[in-house]
Amino acid sequence: MSSAENPGRRSPKRFLLAFAGFLALFYAAIAIHPVNDHVVVPFTAGVARLSAGILNAVGERVSVAGTVISSRTFSVNIENGCNGLETALLLAAAVLAFPASWRQRAAGFFGGFAAIELLNLVRVVSLFWIGAHRPRWFGPAHALVWQSIVVLAGVALFVAWASLVARRPIRSAAR
Amino acid sequence: MSRAARYVPPLVKGAAGFLAGAALWAVAAEPYQRTLAPAAQAAIRLFETPAVTRLRAERREVIVDREDFPEASARPGIPADDLDFNVAILAALFAASPRPLSDRGLRRFAAAAAILWATHVAALVFAVESLYALSLGPWSAAHYGPVARNFWATGNHFYRIAGMFAVPFALWWALAAAPPGAAPGKAGRRAR
Repeated sequence: MSSAENPGRRSPKRFLLAFAGFLALFYAAIAIHPVNDHVVVPFTAGVARLSAGILNAVGERVSVAGTVISSRTFSVNIENGCNGLETALLLAAAVLAFPASWRQRAAGFFGGFAAIELLNLVRVVSLFWIGAHRPRWFGPAHALVWQSIVVLAGVALFVAWASLVARRPIRSAAR
Repeated sequence: MSRAARYVPPLVKGAAGFLAGAALWAVAAEPYQRTLAPAAQAAIRLFETPAVTRLRAERREVIVDREDFPEASARPGIPADDLDFNVAILAALFAASPRPLSDRGLRRFAAAAAILWATHVAALVFAVESLYALSLGPWSAAHYGPVARNFWATGNHFYRIAGMFAVPFALWWALAAAPPGAAPGKAGRRAR
């Protein structure tokens, strides 16, 4: 079977080079000011509003201003790196670097992105709760536990998607 | 390895690896960071004239000192935990791989950990240079032009946003993962 038919047969080196290239490209795209100001910040503000809605629904009584969620005892600013986009960048770079049809890639990225953002909402809500009620645990929960969980979930989603894709031979014309 | 252990789902092995990696990081981060500081200091001094940077790790910070800083001024610190906690991610990924505790699995993890250490040194160099380029007021403006400022700041930001998560993934993919659909070869042998 040729490499065009079996996606898994591409060498790890080629995959990693493409992955690094796409990652640098996507990072550059979100780092430039107009994209940051008109896409990333409004997106992060949306994450803050949704999280605040959930927190209010469970009785936390919070308000939101831009990317900042505040209660009487605690407030948190959702910054780059806490909005799930860092994991979405990794997922997008890995999905594009892996040989698959464009339809498979779109399904992998958008499905994975939705799952990552859902998990990220749980992260923001739980971190706010920890900050408000168990402030001693906020540091390790924020830096070590939740960042790692979201990134590992992104890797798991990619591996699950790639395993599905590798089982289904694709036609060269579909790429 | 027992027959039962061989069939532990990757998710469970990954979670165990993450807990082990996080525990190791919690206990050993300070001594580990004491190895990063002199290595990064040596790297910075290679390109510094005169060579005046002095880095020391204490209480999970890397304190940045220079022989030409006024004695009375405060020394800035860089939170070191933000640079190196990805060791727990590396441990989780390698633990989820086939036969992580075999000789081959442990050798590959050791090689990945050594490369990860080098990336931590590089990240610390970028963090210090970024601090020099952006945070020391008129001194920064006098010693770093716009290109140098952008170079060091972008490198530092890239590591924190994407690089520190991408490096463990790339190391795992290159050294330990059984790529989905892999042909019998290096990766196929790893999978067994």
